[in-house]
This record gives sequence, C-alpha cells and structure tokens, in this order.
Amino acid sequence: MKLGSMEYLQEVMKRSNADEKYRALAKGQFETYTLVLEAEPDKGVKEPVIVGFDCRDGEFVDIWQGAKPTLFTLSAPYGTWVDVLRGKLGATKAITMRKLKVQGPFLQLLKGGERVLHWVEILRTIPTEFEGDYAQYNIPGKAQH
Amino acid sequence: MKAAIFRGAGHIEVTEVPTPEPMPGEVLVRVHYCGICGTDLEAYQTGMYEPGLVIGHEFAGEIVALGEGVQGWAIGERVTIDNALPCGRCWFCRQGRPSLCQELLSPGITLDGGMAEYVRLPVSLLHRLPQGVSTRQGALVEPLTIALHGVRSSALKPGDWALVLGAGPIGLLTLQCALLAGARQVLVVEVNPKRAAIARELGASYVLHPQRDNLAVEVAARTDGLGPDVVYVCTGAAPAFESALGLVRRGGQVFVLGLCPEPVPTDFMSVVLSELDIRGGYLGHGAFPAALDYLAQGRVRVDPLISHEIALEDVVEQGFEQMLRPDTEAIKVLVRIGGERSVKRKTGNGKRKT
Repeated sequence: MKLGSMEYLQEVMKRSNADEKYRALAKGQFETYTLVLEAEPDKGVKEPVIVGFDCRDGEFVDIWQGAKPTLFTLSAPYGTWVDVLRGKLGATKAITMRKLKVQGPFLQLLKGGERVLHWVEILRTIPTEFEGDYAQYNIPGKAQH
Repeated sequence: MKAAIFRGAGHIEVTEVPTPEPMPGEVLVRVHYCGICGTDLEAYQTGMYEPGLVIGHEFAGEIVALGEGVQGWAIGERVTIDNALPCGRCWFCRQGRPSLCQELLSPGITLDGGMAEYVRLPVSLLHRLPQGVSTRQGALVEPLTIALHGVRSSALKPGDWALVLGAGPIGLLTLQCALLAGARQVLVVEVNPKRAAIARELGASYVLHPQRDNLAVEVAARTDGLGPDVVYVCTGAAPAFESALGLVRRGGQVFVLGLCPEPVPTDFMSVVLSELDIRGGYLGHGAFPAALDYLAQGRVRVDPLISHEIALEDVVEQGFEQMLRPDTEAIKVLVRIGGERSVKRKTGNGKRKT
C-alpha cells in the first residue's frame, strides 16, 4: 500500500482500532492530526503527502487526505517519516529533536509518548510502499486477519 | 455640549454636559471625528472604565480656544491627539519607556476623552494634522501609532516574513507598517471575508482562514517551511494566541498587540526549545510624527478601514451594539461629531472660536 493513500489510511484505522493496547493508551484523548510528509524532489518525492485523522477516546473515527484545521500538525521531510517507520529514528526523539515539527499542544503530545511509540509499531505492521528513492526501504508488514 | 458618558458595563449615555473650559497649558478642541476602539468595546462589556468618564481616545478636530500661557498653538489648527500622557518623572519615563509610566493618564480612559463635542487637553497631547490629512483620517492616527510602535519595537527586519493574526483595524495597520518596514511578504489570518478582502487590497500576500485552512501547513508552505520571523497577534481571540507559538519560526518572535481578557494556555516548552521571543506593545507614544508623515505621503491608507460613520446620538445602537454582533461587518466605526467643515471664526477674549 502506498504510504498516505486512502487504502493505507483505511488500514491504519482498521489496525489501530483493533489494537487493544493502543485503544487503552489513547483512551481519554480527543485529538485531530494532520501529518505533512514534505516533498523531496531530489529524492523522487515530487509532491507533499498530507493526511489527517480524527481520534476520539482511543478510536479512529475519520481519516482524510489533504489539509484541514486540526489540533496537531506534524511536519517533516518525507525521508524523516520513512526513518520513523523503519525504526531508524524514534518518533518521540524525532519530535524532541524537532526533526518532526509539531504545531499544537506540544506537551500533550509528549505526555502521550508511549501511545505514539506503540502507534508507530502498529504502522510498521502495514505493508508499505514508499516514493522515489525511498522505495528501497519498503516495509513488508504483517498480514492481519 | 453633547458627550458619550460611560455609566458602567453595557451602559453608555449620550447626554448634555457642561462644555469644559481650557485650564492653563490646555486647549479646547472641537471634535470632528472619534473612533470606537476595541478597548472601548472591552470596557463596554466589562465595565473597566470609571463611571462618569467621557469616552473616546481616537479623535481629531480643531482648536477653538487656548488656555492661559499656551504658546505655539493657534485657534483653528487641526489636530489629532496622543492618548498617552506620561508623567515624565518616573523611572520608566526617565528610561525612555513612557508607555510604562507609573502615573500614566489617558484621555478617554482615565481622563475625559473625545467622544464629545468639545474636549480640553494639555498641549503636550496635540499633533498638527499635515496638509492633505483630513480630521476623518486624523481620528485613525492613534491606532496607526499603535501598529507603528509595535512594528518598530518588534524584531522584524527587511527581508523577513511576517504573519498578522487578525485583520481588524490594528491588524490592517500592522500589515501596512510591516510592509513599510521591509517585510518580504506579510501573511494574514482572518475569518471575516470583508476584512480579508481589505487585507488583500492593502498588500497581504496571502489571507488564510483559521477554520478552513490548516495554518501550520499553509504558513509553512509560504515561508520555505521555516515559518514567519515575526507573528503579530492583533486580535483578542484566544485561539490566535495559542497558535502563534506554533506558527512562528524557531528563534522568531511573537509580538502581541491584541488584548485577550481571558487567560490563554501557553506552551512555554516551545518557547524554551525553540528559543522564542514573546513581546507586547502598548500605546503609540512617540510614533505620532512618523505616522502623520506616512499618512500625508499616502504610504499608509486608513480610509479602507472605515466601515461605518455614525452620529454621536447613535453611538450605542449603531456603534457598540453593532460591533458586538457576531456577524458584524464593522471594522472601524467612526463617530462624526463636528465633522470637518469651514468654520466661521469668532473670538471670545481674543482666544476663542465657536
């Protein structure tokens, strides 16, 4: 599944909502997110990928492509997201290093660090295809029934 | 004379009061136009002025009488008024920070102001209107000085990106001052379509809508991914204050000109990690000569900001109440009191015109 495609986002929603640990960690959080995967034309990523989702009390209730106002907006070059998904760079480390730029209540996000890290683990289970030069790092993922 | 008197929260009365007489060192000004400021609106809602005060601190008119000992001013001169009367003696005044004066007086806030047919004023508050600047425009000099003082006090340098949150009168003037100061582009965030259109007309590169646009995405896309060097908060809306720290570039400055009466949650962690600078700007004392020059040269436009011109008798219904409506189209509401006209001069004891 192409990273950021609707098919991919549907899978994110499905796997996150099916994960008991994630639901427990995210319980009580009502947050909307925009993730901006910035273009890197020299690496073959010609257009930015912008996706969003709405997570309420541990459940993903909506996903979308494109930008609209959300509580959090996390932006980084495409390759930084690839590094996070490959496990080369920790998500919370990326946030504190400002490799991932956060717009929104920063502390609220960091306080939920365990939730963020577990969510990235869920994402790693999804078969993922990257753009351009990053295709060499495609994630095989794990089948889910 | 008629005057708009503050009686308490939600209560302003236009009534007859005795016409003041200028004291030594003062002049009597016949007011032509007086604007309703956001601070007046705040007072109308909260009751923060003293009851009995003649409101109005954005005004212009003409001198009609001179008090004893007044030199260098003449009857008939058209003037606008600085609304800050610092003591000149306290520690802050001596440090050249008159807006922080410990005994600051202000017409329309702590002294009787200009929403009246006449007002008496110390000459130190007067600024002559240059030729070509009408008293209608003159009533907007005070808010222009707020914006100008703000931009001059901010960290903005030529070639910087600026973002203005809120396109009310102060925001629209800040936009123009930031352009004059050499900003490469000024982005504006505004909900109201009429204000947004005026911001575009006055030079905004982009006008974003905070409820339709993802500001972080749109602002980053227009500032090489870095964010603006300076974010000017020119609204009292709490969400703007909250978003400013996330929109400004690392090492940038958030400059606050808007008054938010409620406490706003502030992400001080970002202030530390991104080495942000937060500053406020208050009053425009000292910026009047430059503001008047800009107006006279046509380098700042105030006329597009004037959305309504009303009579003094209508100041509550068509002024304050109109401005408080959620769907208001008001930007700057001007109260026309004397208007600018040619006045037949009469002199009483050689020093008065009526």
